[in-house]
Amino acid sequence: MAVATRYEQFKSLGVEVLAISTDSAFVHKAWQEQELSKMIPGGVPFPMLSDAGGKIGTSYGVYDETAGVDIRGWFLVDPNLVIRAMEVLMPEVGRNPDELLRQIRAFQHAAATGEVMPSGWQPGGTTLKPSEELVGKVCEIWKP
Amino acid sequence: MLARVGQPAVDFEANAYIEGVGLKTVKLSDYRGKWVVLYFYPGDFTFV
Repeated sequence: MAVATRYEQFKSLGVEVLAISTDSAFVHKAWQEQELSKMIPGGVPFPMLSDAGGKIGTSYGVYDETAGVDIRGWFLVDPNLVIRAMEVLMPEVGRNPDELLRQIRAFQHAAATGEVMPSGWQPGGTTLKPSEELVGKVCEIWKP
Repeated sequence: MLARVGQPAVDFEANAYIEGVGLKTVKLSDYRGKWVVLYFYPGDFTFV
């Protein structure tokens, strides 16, 4: 659970993480007690939800009916409960929590300022203010 | 309805285990007003 190791960063951005698998809440508890608490001090600090039967995964397009499990995917939901970003990966490649954190910072910056973040934006980097004057002049401001 | 960016996240309710709290029912709409990451994974006691 790579996100658990970055919990403080998610917390500092005011982001709640809900971990979801088809395991029961009792299995989540057992996993915490037997294994996670030994790998991450204090265990995984966010709610671990049971998606028994895959109903939640089905509504998000990540439930694999053949295997009976939710495949790896994350969805960033804004304070109005609108999906702002999503990423779903096949099992052979794991996710990158730093990329998730980058996107959260960018979406939060956009929500706060109305500015937009060009490709590869990092916190502190150049942002763009969409306007009529900017049309055709992006290259003057943004030099990748 | 399928998940799509720019569209409302489908609400749901689920049994959850929360470290330090115990077993609790969690509803996505309870988190209105906060940024939330839904983090799906295949299963407990696996290797990734």
